[in-house]
Amino acid sequence: MDAALKRRLEARFGDRLTAPVYQRHDETEIRIGPGDVPDVCRTLHDDADFRFILLADVAGVDTGTVMQVVYHLWGDTSSDWLRIVADGLSREDPRVPSVTFLWQGAEWMEREAYDMFGITFEGNRDLRRIYMPPDYQSFPLRKDFFLPDDAARSPGAGVRHMEQSHAPRNARPGETMRKVRA
Amino acid sequence: MALSRKSGPGLGVGPDDATQVSSDAPANEPSALTVNTTAVGQPIVVSNTLWQSADPNAYQGNLEPEVTHLREFEASGAGRRDDARWSGALEIIPTKADYVLDLIRANSLWPLLSGLACCAMEMMSSATSRNDMDRWGMFPFRASPRQADVLIVAGTLTTKMAGPLVRLWEQMPEPKWCVAMGDCTCSGGRYKRSYATVEGIDRVMPVDVYVPGCPPRPEGLIYGMMKLQQLVKDRRGHWPDRAIGPTVPADV
Amino acid sequence: MTAAPPHGHLHQEVPSDDPRVQLDEAAGVFEPVPPYPPRTEREAEFYTLGDGEMFINMGPQHPSTHGVLRIVLKLDGENVVDLDPVLGYLHRGVEKLCENSDYHHSIAYLDPLEYIASLFCEWPGVLAFEKLLDVQVPRRAEYIRVLATELNRILSHSMFIGWMALDLGGLTPILYGLIERDEIAEMLGALTGQRLLYNYLRIGGVNGDLNHEFMSRLGDWMSRATTQIEANTTLLNENEIFVRRMRGLGTMDKETAFRMAMTGPNLRASGVPLDFRRAHPYSVFPELEFDIPTREEGDCLARYLVRIDEIKQSLRIIDQVIHNMPDGPVIAKLPRLLRPRPGRAYAAVEGPRGQYAAYVISDGTDQPFRMRIHDPSFVHLQAVGVLMPGHLIADAMAVMASLDPIMGGVDK
Repeated sequence: MDAALKRRLEARFGDRLTAPVYQRHDETEIRIGPGDVPDVCRTLHDDADFRFILLADVAGVDTGTVMQVVYHLWGDTSSDWLRIVADGLSREDPRVPSVTFLWQGAEWMEREAYDMFGITFEGNRDLRRIYMPPDYQSFPLRKDFFLPDDAARSPGAGVRHMEQSHAPRNARPGETMRKVRA
Repeated sequence: MALSRKSGPGLGVGPDDATQVSSDAPANEPSALTVNTTAVGQPIVVSNTLWQSADPNAYQGNLEPEVTHLREFEASGAGRRDDARWSGALEIIPTKADYVLDLIRANSLWPLLSGLACCAMEMMSSATSRNDMDRWGMFPFRASPRQADVLIVAGTLTTKMAGPLVRLWEQMPEPKWCVAMGDCTCSGGRYKRSYATVEGIDRVMPVDVYVPGCPPRPEGLIYGMMKLQQLVKDRRGHWPDRAIGPTVPADV
Repeated sequence: MTAAPPHGHLHQEVPSDDPRVQLDEAAGVFEPVPPYPPRTEREAEFYTLGDGEMFINMGPQHPSTHGVLRIVLKLDGENVVDLDPVLGYLHRGVEKLCENSDYHHSIAYLDPLEYIASLFCEWPGVLAFEKLLDVQVPRRAEYIRVLATELNRILSHSMFIGWMALDLGGLTPILYGLIERDEIAEMLGALTGQRLLYNYLRIGGVNGDLNHEFMSRLGDWMSRATTQIEANTTLLNENEIFVRRMRGLGTMDKETAFRMAMTGPNLRASGVPLDFRRAHPYSVFPELEFDIPTREEGDCLARYLVRIDEIKQSLRIIDQVIHNMPDGPVIAKLPRLLRPRPGRAYAAVEGPRGQYAAYVISDGTDQPFRMRIHDPSFVHLQAVGVLMPGHLIADAMAVMASLDPIMGGVDK
């Protein structure tokens, strides 16, 4: 819980943050719009106050209503993990600028987010599928992609498996899509 | 210019004798070997008038484009030709020789290096010092499928890898056997509900021995290989009689 | 032979009556080289052949034991000019499966990601769940976790030494590495019940306490561990061929390492003393004494030597842990049905390959909403595109082996 980091972030990026800086345990989280990603990342990378030079993770998230891209950075000026949430990408055509100009190691992580969610990273020179075969049509980790459920097709379909515990009793796979406010 | 034929004592004498001209002289090129140097990519085609095969089906004479799907291969019966027995004049040798052949095969089964995932670690462990598969002759893990007898599929088979794996299986020459090592290859295992895995390799290729476990202990794999040896010697599960597809009925 | 290919946009547009061309329609799953039309800028750049260059496909099945990785090499004779790794041959959909299972079940899915270092794959998931649930882990459980994971680290590094030599062509060190690995695997099997995919860490602790068989095997092994590891590594360290092949190969400086998002021994071999056990402490590492081995050169030899030094440091940690093991419970009491409060948590640990991390989003139900797994091998494998070009094929394999990728983690 690094209060000094929170002050520095609010002072520097105050107008671009779409939500207050959120801190819990050893994580600090800021939310920005997708267009601000290159500027914010470059500032955090280059600026002497921040020096978050290690990109730890690039993840895509499908909240059910919007899509997000979540970056985790680490730097030696702070004891916290810094999480940047690029919020508010539409689910129909999610686009966000790429950070490969700063960290070339983000290239494959962005490819994976494209493969799993369909998020287009503008500026990534190699945005093609990485895990699924190149002619695969769906985006598997989206919330409207449901696992094939062998159990539903079998004579044991009446049995309520534990995997269905969160869904209403008469739900079939493909009918309920989970949503979260995150 | 064709080599001129001269019979009699004129050969080898005289200024116009072609044999006196050096072979790199511009006019002395044998026409049969002339290559059109402007088209580098042209293959050199020698017409096959030297020898014809007696079998009208040879060299894709009458066959359709080759079937690469295993079900069609089964249906066409091409795999049931028993081409691993003595042939020709040796067919009259009684079947004790077949037994010796099977014994030879069982005691030198050469696996193919096809470790896909975690089970590959246990396969490597069963091949090295502590649990030594070399005791049964299975030491050389061949890198090329053309040289291997057994395909030990060790690890989860994903839909992307299914194509290459079936290619590997088809490239292996008969006689060949397949061992499904680990839960993922037997039935899908813990990835049964996944969108990207094949639930058991018996959906794409015939399996002789199933070794369950996640991963099976090296001793378990060795037990499976010994079962395979027994199977080879008994000529059970002989390859033309294998069925493809899960042996579980479709509606379960 | 004359039928139209099923995926017209992937196959090259060549006349099908040309006898030199054989289109194999049934092999639709195999992406032909080169794919036409190119889908991205990088693909267009890669799949343009220069003068005298050729493509060689190092297919998903190959004698290098890293797993199912396909690399399309662009070669000029024996020199690698460029390469295009194709992944996904082991993609099992772990993140989606975790979203559809309970929190407890998700831990079992995390094991086979990096099957050599299973405990390090489970650990960040478990830590993230514990953050969401605000669970306090008992001290004895923390010590046992450190003990088991450091043993797993030694196991992983022993295998690395074996594979490193195997990719350079030496067939003996892999046998030594597997002896070590078998001993530690039996030890951890006595502790956890499994040789390979331990499934040992639980939310709030570990699955079972130390038992007599484990402690006796551990005592036996520790008494000869140092000399044994010394003997195994001396075989290679003092081998002139090995050293001369690896020295100066695949050099990565600090800027490149950070640009490629490297962590772990690959980063420490380039001169950056970053170890998350010290830089961002978790568990009981603040109480333990150990050094962070770092090397300046950044070549393959440095990456190899850093890992050997790490084995020695791990032995030191195990020693301290055994001597200071506290008493108490090994797991916190938690209900069977877990519903954490809605929120997000990120946890990272330092494993034998680098940073293993998990980012979990919870929506208040008994299943995680999003389980993002970050795996170091996935990120490090991008470096082959930067380090391999310019070397011969044999050296290129050494470079890839020195980065120590495990395809289960790369493909998730």
